[in-house]
Amino acid sequence: MDKVDATNSTNPRRKILNLAVSQILMEKGFDSVDKECLETLTEMLQSMLVEVGQSARSYCELSGRTIPVIGDVIVALVNMGVSMQGIEAFAKRDGRQIIPMPAQASQQKQLNLLQAGTKSSHPPHVPNYLPALPDPHAYVRTPTHKQPVTEYEAIREKAANQKRDVEKALTKFLSKTSETHSLFDNEDNMFPLIACKPAFPPYLAALNPTDQVFDFEELEYHYLVANRTEDVTSKDDNDENESGNEDDGDGEMKAESKSEKEMKPENDIKPNSTTNKAILENPNIDNPYLRAATLPKRAKPDPALLIPPPTPAPANNAVAN
Amino acid sequence: MIGTNFGIYRPNSSSSGVSGAPEERAAVQQLSDFMLQLEDYVPTVPDAVTAHFLNSAGFESNDPRIVRLISVATQKFISDVANDALQQCKTRCNTQSNLPGTHTPGQKPTKDRKYTLTMEDLAPALADYGITVRKAQYFP
Repeated sequence: MDKVDATNSTNPRRKILNLAVSQILMEKGFDSVDKECLETLTEMLQSMLVEVGQSARSYCELSGRTIPVIGDVIVALVNMGVSMQGIEAFAKRDGRQIIPMPAQASQQKQLNLLQAGTKSSHPPHVPNYLPALPDPHAYVRTPTHKQPVTEYEAIREKAANQKRDVEKALTKFLSKTSETHSLFDNEDNMFPLIACKPAFPPYLAALNPTDQVFDFEELEYHYLVANRTEDVTSKDDNDENESGNEDDGDGEMKAESKSEKEMKPENDIKPNSTTNKAILENPNIDNPYLRAATLPKRAKPDPALLIPPPTPAPANNAVAN
Repeated sequence: MIGTNFGIYRPNSSSSGVSGAPEERAAVQQLSDFMLQLEDYVPTVPDAVTAHFLNSAGFESNDPRIVRLISVATQKFISDVANDALQQCKTRCNTQSNLPGTHTPGQKPTKDRKYTLTMEDLAPALADYGITVRKAQYFP
C-alpha cells in the first residue's frame, strides 16, 4: 500500500475512490499494488458508479417516474450482473474503515478594503433592494483648484499688458533684423522705426503664390538684391508715387516682385527679351530653373503700350543709381 | 415489498409474485431489512462522492439509502474482484514455488508472504467477470 502515495490524481473525488480501493485490497490481504492495477480498479469503480446511475435512471424513466426508487437500482444492478448475495455481510464486515469527508474548503472572505468615509443611504427615489451606494469618494466631486480671477478689470488689464509686451517684442525684433528709419536726422539711431515698404497694389503679395524655398543660398541672394535696391527705392519714393499709373501695369505682371526694386532694372531692360532681363536680374544663377519666375506674356504688350510715357522715368532711375 | 412490481418475468413465481418460492421470499425479506439498516449506515466512501458520480450520469436521488446501496454494491464488486485476484496470486505463487525441485514444505506457509497485486493476477480475475483488461495506450 506504499504506492498509494505515489498516485497523484488531482481530482479529489477520484482520490477518495482511490483510497477506498486501496483499503479493500488491504483488507483482502494484499500488501502492495501496482500503480497500474490500482488505477484500473479505481477507474472500474468510478465507471461502475456512473453506469449504475445511468442504468437506474433509464429504468426509472422507463417506468414514467422522475425520482428513482430502490427497485430501479436493484434492477440496474441485477442487469449488470452484480450479485447481491452477501451484500449485507460485506456492508457490516469487521475492520471496515470509513473515509472521512475531506474538509470543506472554506471560501476566503473578502476583506473590507479601506473604508473611506461613511456610506450614505439611498435617496428617496431609489428602491431599497438596489445595492448600497459606494464609498463617497467614488462619486463626490471635490474641487482641487483655486477659483480663477474673474473680475473684468483685472482680466482686461492682463490682456492689455500681454498684448503690449508681444507688440513691443515684435517691434524690437523687426527693428533689429530689418530695415529701419531713423526718427531724428542724426546717425545714432536711438529710436529706430520699422521701415515702411509700401507695395502699390497692397493685395498683390497675398494673391501671388510663392514657392517653397529649397536652396537657401538663392534665398540669401534674393535678400542681398532686396537690400541693395532698397536704398534705391527709399530714395526714389517720390518718383514712384508720381509714376504710379505707369507702374501698375508692371506690378501686375511681375510675379516675383516683392518690392519695387525688381521693377527698376526690369524697366531699364524692357526693350530686350524677357530671358535677358531674367539673366540681368539674377546674374549669378545660370540655371534657368532656379531663376525667379517671370511672366513673359503680359510683359510684351505692356512695353509697347507704355513705351512713350515711361521712357523718362527709367532715365531718371538710371541717373539716380 | 422490493421486487414486487419490477415487471420482471419470473417463470417460477407464476401468480402471486413474492409469495412464490420461500427462498426467494427470504432473499427479498433480507434485502428489505438491509435497506432499513442502510438508513443509519456510514459507507466507506462518503455519500457526497458517490452522489457526485451518480449525478454525472443524470441520476438524482434524495434518498440516501439508494446512494449507499449503490456505493456498497460497487465496492463489493471490487472486493470480489480483489478476492479472485488474491486467489490467483496465491495459486501462482504456490505453483512457482512448487516448480523448483528444492521443496521445503515447512517453510513456505509459515513465512509471511508479501502479496502484490499485479496485472498478471488482475487480468485473469477480471476475465472471469467478462472484463478484458488491456493496458491503456497513453497511460504513463
